[in-house]
Amino acid sequence: MKKLSIAERLGMVNYQNQGKTEAKPHILVDTDICNTGCDHKATTRVCPANCYTLDEVGKVHFQFEDCIECGTCMYACDKGAVTWEYPDPEIGRGVKWNFG
Amino acid sequence: MEDKFDCIVIGGGIAGLSAALTLAKNNMKFLLIERGEFSGAKNVSGGVLWGEGLSKLVPNYWEEEDAGFERFINHRRLSFMDGDSSFSIDFKSSSFDEKPYKGVIVLRAKFDNWLAEKVQEAIEASKYPDESFMAPNILVEEVLMDNGKAVGIRAGEEKFYADSVIISEGVNNLLTRQVGLQDDYVPADALAVGVKEIIKFDQEVLEDRFQLSINSGMSNEFIGTATQGVEGGGFLYTNKDSISFGLVLGMISLRDSGMKPYDILNEFKAHPVIADTLRGGEVVEYSAHAVSTGDMKVMPKEIYGDGLLVAGEAANLLMNSGKAIQGMDYAMHSGVLAAETIVEARDSGDFSKNTMKAYRDKLEKSFVLQDMKNFQGAVEFLHSKEMFQSVPGLVCDFGKQFFSIKNEPTPKTREMLSKSVKKHSSYWQLLKLGIKGARSL
Repeated sequence: MKKLSIAERLGMVNYQNQGKTEAKPHILVDTDICNTGCDHKATTRVCPANCYTLDEVGKVHFQFEDCIECGTCMYACDKGAVTWEYPDPEIGRGVKWNFG
Repeated sequence: MEDKFDCIVIGGGIAGLSAALTLAKNNMKFLLIERGEFSGAKNVSGGVLWGEGLSKLVPNYWEEEDAGFERFINHRRLSFMDGDSSFSIDFKSSSFDEKPYKGVIVLRAKFDNWLAEKVQEAIEASKYPDESFMAPNILVEEVLMDNGKAVGIRAGEEKFYADSVIISEGVNNLLTRQVGLQDDYVPADALAVGVKEIIKFDQEVLEDRFQLSINSGMSNEFIGTATQGVEGGGFLYTNKDSISFGLVLGMISLRDSGMKPYDILNEFKAHPVIADTLRGGEVVEYSAHAVSTGDMKVMPKEIYGDGLLVAGEAANLLMNSGKAIQGMDYAMHSGVLAAETIVEARDSGDFSKNTMKAYRDKLEKSFVLQDMKNFQGAVEFLHSKEMFQSVPGLVCDFGKQFFSIKNEPTPKTREMLSKSVKKHSSYWQLLKLGIKGARSL
């Protein structure tokens, strides 16, 4: 089987309110904490949806749009940078599995 | 919906639905709230519901034309892997064809939805067909407390009241934390991340490749190179016309590996033995979820309070004992026990902590907490470096020697074993491991 990129994999995921242009973020990340006080930047390594990325100068960036609500970042961040909530069914962007 | 419910169940996964089904059978007025568009829309599991619990909850479920499960298990395989080999312990038995089945493979988006239908049927058959409800697509934001007692829930601006609340919200237990039963921060060292693909096949191809009959299925767990040295293991379960294939990776070990979970999954799929198994399949879904490893140190401080019970993975009831990864059966049983406790509370008119404690006592006496307590050593054992690195390497190295015929004088098996042991470990290490394993498993 051919290797799949994370983009191809996330392309198979259905999200609630997919059609809406704006959604309320359900995870807030204080990247100042990541970029000044964190030695491991674990979220950029463990997030299975690649929502946490490092740029060329090693700074952490976060986007919630691809989030599949797995919860991993909530545990991986031990610096208090991640505020994690469930997405609002009406105005949030959350996952909707076909198989699960 | 002005009236107070007997119980509000938060979360329509297996724990919540099992609780609801039990409440309905006992003529309780309840409200079950699920945040997904339907039950199962938000759930991910590896995929085996072990044990016979389902047959108690839904008698003769297998007689249904399209019951919620994919296949029952009569074939089990544990594979040790190194870079180019796989050495398996394989067990298949037609005695497992007997009903009730010992385990069924499920896909949650389908299974939970089916179980929710059973709850609806039970509500309609109960004394209160118009006073119990299942409400999907609603997010519970708060458990309402009054003088330390749970009295209801808030979802947006709306509040609903009940004599009791069952929290069955899953591993990411925000409400369990909010009511103070769990610490606000749960450390990653007792958690893993599961990544999974659903790989579709022509049904006939699937049945031929895995030697399945009409309804039977196989579970295969993998340790060793599957995880590229990261703590954890792999899994493969046969669905009707697809397989659930993935990895469970210890979070801290993953963090320290420098590898991404989905890249490790790609490597696993590219392993020569696995590549042959997956040939011709088409990936139709990629999913992931945090999962508890079964380490009891991250269990909530308590799983009951005044008017309050916590069930399923919200209470961290999950374990990999080496024999199976159990979680959905724990969810089911804890949900049933929670509901039974609520029924007793209604009968006695006392929803206080004193009555709710019976839930903990029942769970302590049941296989759920008995097993979790008895196999804590096994959890630790399976997460030791030897188990996911040295042992698979040693086993495969031995296999390569033992099964190869070279037309040159063949060493005795003992010499082969000795060579493999020295290469990957030592007799002393192995003895220590053997004792640890014998004690814990």
